[in-house]
Amino acid sequence: MAKKGKKEVPAMSTSSLPDIVFMLLFFFMAATTMRDTDPLVTVSMPEAHEITELDKKGLVNIWIGQPLQRGEGDALKIQLNDQICEVSDIQDLVHDASAKKGMALSQMLINLRVDKTATVGKLTDVKQELRRAEAYSISYAAKTRVH
Amino acid sequence: MAKAKRKAGEINSSSMADIAFLLLIFFLVTTTMDVDSGMKRTLPPIADNEQQQQDVELKQRNVLMVNVSKEGRIMVGTEEYMPSDLNRRGDHSRMSREVLDFLAGADRSEKKSTDIEPGTSCEISQGVVSLKADNETKYNIYLQVQDELTHAFNVYRDMISVQAYGKPFEDLNEIQAGNIRKAVPVKVSEAEPNDQTR
Repeated sequence: MAKKGKKEVPAMSTSSLPDIVFMLLFFFMAATTMRDTDPLVTVSMPEAHEITELDKKGLVNIWIGQPLQRGEGDALKIQLNDQICEVSDIQDLVHDASAKKGMALSQMLINLRVDKTATVGKLTDVKQELRRAEAYSISYAAKTRVH
Repeated sequence: MAKAKRKAGEINSSSMADIAFLLLIFFLVTTTMDVDSGMKRTLPPIADNEQQQQDVELKQRNVLMVNVSKEGRIMVGTEEYMPSDLNRRGDHSRMSREVLDFLAGADRSEKKSTDIEPGTSCEISQGVVSLKADNETKYNIYLQVQDELTHAFNVYRDMISVQAYGKPFEDLNEIQAGNIRKAVPVKVSEAEPNDQTR
C-alpha cells in the first residue's frame, strides 16, 4: 500500500519558456513581411488557376472594393497608397509611388486587387489611367482556385 | 585581508519570457504572411490616331474574338459558351480547349517558324485572342475567362517546349523557360474601351 503523506507537486520548470518563445519569434520574423499599407477597403478576391507569385519589390497595389468606413456609401472605391482616391488621381499617385520607391514606372508592377463583384467598366477606367501614366505592367490579383 | 571568492550574482531571467512574448506579439500584429499572387498582363501603350491607322491589320484567321456579355455569356469566335463551360473537367475546360485548338490546330491560326534559340526553331502560332467585355460584366467572370485563356496559352507553351527541348515547360531551366516565354507570349489583347458600345 502506498504511503499516505502530504505530497507536494514540484513546480514546473519554466526555464525553457524563453527559448520556445524566441524560436516562435524568429519563425515569425523570417516568415512574414511588414504590413506597408493599411487597407481602407475590403476586397473579396476572385479565384483563378493560372496565377504566379509576384515579386514584392516594385509592387504597387490598387484596391477596388467596399469601403470599410461607414458613411462612404455602398459604391466600390479605389484605394492607392493609403488613401481612397478617384480615377482621375491615379496617374499622380502612381508617379508618387514610383518616386517613393526610387524605381522607374516601367520596372514596377501594378497589382490590381479588384473585388469580384466589381464591373469590368470600373476596371477599364483604371487601366486606361495606368496606360496614360505609362505604367504598362499589371497583374490581376487572385486566390488559388482548388477545384 | 580576507580574500573571498565572490560569485557574481546571477541575473534573474524570469522576465525573459515576458520580453520575448511582447516582441512576438508585436511581430504578429505588424506583419502579414500572405504572398501576393496574380495573373500578369502587359497593357498596350496608348496609340494616337495616326498610329492607329498605321496599325498592321491582323489576318482574320489569326484573331480569335472573345466577347463576354453582361449576363456572363461568352462568345468565342462564332460559338456561344456558358459560364459552366469555364469549369474544368479533367485538365481543361470546354472553352480553353477551343482556344487551344485555335492556337495549335493545323487549319486554324497561321504558324510561323520562330527561333527559340539559335539552331532550334519551331512552328509557332501567330494567333491573337481579342478579349472584349461589356462594361457591366462582373469582374469575377471576366477573370475566369482570362484564367482559361492563360491556361490555353500555358498548355500551348508546354507543347512547344516538348517540341523544342523534349520536356514540359516546368522542367526547363531558367534560360530555356525564358526562351519559350519569349517565343510564345500570352497574346491576349484587351480591347480599347472606345471599341465597345457604351
